[in-house]
Amino acid sequence: MSLLAHTVQAGTPFLLGTIGEIYAERSGVLNLGVEGMMAMGALTAFMTSFYTGSVGLAILAAMIVGLVLSSIHAFLSITMRANQIVSGLAISILGLGLSGFLGKPMIGMTAPRLPSFSVPVLADMPVIGPILFSQDALLYASILLAVVLWFVLFKTRPGLNARSVGENPAMADSLGLNVYLIRYVCVLFGGAMSGLAGAYLSLLYTPLWIEGMSAGRGWIVIALTIFAVWNPLRALLGAYLFGGVYALQFRLQAIGIGAETPQFLLMLPYLTTICALVLISAESVKRRIGVPAALALPYVRGE
Amino acid sequence: MVPVVSLVMGFLSAAPLFLAVGVNPILAYQEVLGIFATTDGLTESLTRSIPLLLASVGLCLPFKMNFWNIGAEGQLFMGAFAATGMVFLFPDSPTIVLLGSMMIAGFVFGGLWGLIPAYLKARLETNEVLTTLMLNFVAILWVDYLVYGPWRDPAGFKFPLTPMFPPNARLPWIPGTRIHAGLIMGLACAVLVYVFMARSKWGYELKVSGESRLAAKYAGIDYLRLTMIVMFISGGLAGLAGMGLVSGIVFRLRHGISPGYGFSAIIIAWLARLNPLAVVPVSILFGGLLVAGDAFQIKLGLAFATSQVFQALILLFVVGADIFTRYRVTLTWK
Repeated sequence: MSLLAHTVQAGTPFLLGTIGEIYAERSGVLNLGVEGMMAMGALTAFMTSFYTGSVGLAILAAMIVGLVLSSIHAFLSITMRANQIVSGLAISILGLGLSGFLGKPMIGMTAPRLPSFSVPVLADMPVIGPILFSQDALLYASILLAVVLWFVLFKTRPGLNARSVGENPAMADSLGLNVYLIRYVCVLFGGAMSGLAGAYLSLLYTPLWIEGMSAGRGWIVIALTIFAVWNPLRALLGAYLFGGVYALQFRLQAIGIGAETPQFLLMLPYLTTICALVLISAESVKRRIGVPAALALPYVRGE
Repeated sequence: MVPVVSLVMGFLSAAPLFLAVGVNPILAYQEVLGIFATTDGLTESLTRSIPLLLASVGLCLPFKMNFWNIGAEGQLFMGAFAATGMVFLFPDSPTIVLLGSMMIAGFVFGGLWGLIPAYLKARLETNEVLTTLMLNFVAILWVDYLVYGPWRDPAGFKFPLTPMFPPNARLPWIPGTRIHAGLIMGLACAVLVYVFMARSKWGYELKVSGESRLAAKYAGIDYLRLTMIVMFISGGLAGLAGMGLVSGIVFRLRHGISPGYGFSAIIIAWLARLNPLAVVPVSILFGGLLVAGDAFQIKLGLAFATSQVFQALILLFVVGADIFTRYRVTLTWK
């Protein structure tokens, strides 16, 4: 499979996770639980596919699991006004632990996977045909979703409401917006997307179940939302950039570079994340862009 | 009071999960309680708690100033790496010299690893949660490179581990037990850090920076210098934990030398409300949970991730219960 085709596949979990997290953070809630939700989404999708044979059901189940896990975080962060960083971390540890705990019997097994199909005429185009138009439905959906979510966030009233809740919740509250509800919706949506991202990992990206399938991708998603400046369109850029890093790493290993010592290649995504963060921080120190002003601050009416 | 209740609730909430994998939860709980009821279990818990103690004490510092050091795991690995390096560089040194240099190396390398995200945050506002986290992966992979590659034991059947440490590289045991001298190190550090936080100028600066960076700035506190000192110490203590692991318990460096101690340390520090003295009993408790995790694996066939699940559940309840320490619940009759 070509490098570019691999890139877009590797980038899809990142894209799905990032656009969800963008919504959560735009509404003012920092969700560090993405890694755990992705891990559980991956396991749930895999187990559902394994036991029912239905990929569609598996995807749905993964989204529900992501939603449920994020609801814990939402409850703690929004209603209980707990420390969002620790709460999110706890969910991640829980999700990772649970996926190891419940996934033990599944290690090494395979399950029905996401089918690919070719878009009729477009797939025959010379170079980009096989790359872009012979992929699976979820990949196409993710790109479409990114565009739609961008539109909703910036061009519609609900999107504006979500953004204002994250910038100045007191003001939004005084204008009649239900800050708590909007935050819940955004966080739950983010959770469902993280679960979906995990499902992609186990239903398409990896042929069988292994422990530690998410390998830190959830954390990278959080970095990517910063890199994307909380904009779903820019998330496309970030997600495929990182997809490219993974694809490159794979390709280099395949042709023998670092065959004896793959560890340095494996470090690539994590080092790239740090570099990307440093770049974006340096940029924003100069330009003061983008962070939702009320991010990670619990809102209490009247405080 | 609140932390204790949260602990118990977190514990109990794991029951349905045991049922889900076909294990009788009562058996599981008996297993855990049984550990604290025997001398063997207690000493084993104490031994396991030493790296947790060191790392958690270290975390109290940055957390107090709202610097989220999620990188204790990586700092631990770097400390373990540095200590092992000392053994290979000076295998014939007298015990005291070697152990001393291992401690220093472990502290320094762990500290340096913590310094990187500190600098990035203080200078560029780079999110420290992510930088510390990413560095974890890098450190773990670095150790993997060494134990799969240049440092691998030629007599080790291709397993990713180094040769065993010679006797002069091993921390002495407290006579009559398997508890190594790292415990003394850990307790000393707990006291030192407590005094540091409660009684020194730095401790004051820590608290102010944690409350409000703006206030800290107006108070003339140098955030850059404070962050770097704090993270050097925090990383250093985690590095010491790593050194204690390789020279007190395992006597070699290997793949997965730490099964998530750095993450457990976060939970412990939070549970102890960032009080280094309270960290001591909590880490002993978690040490017991780790021993239980082993027992679960062996006797009940559960994944080792089980103790991770316990820890996460406890943390969730503690996090949720935090609100009760900030607000008071009053019941009124209408």
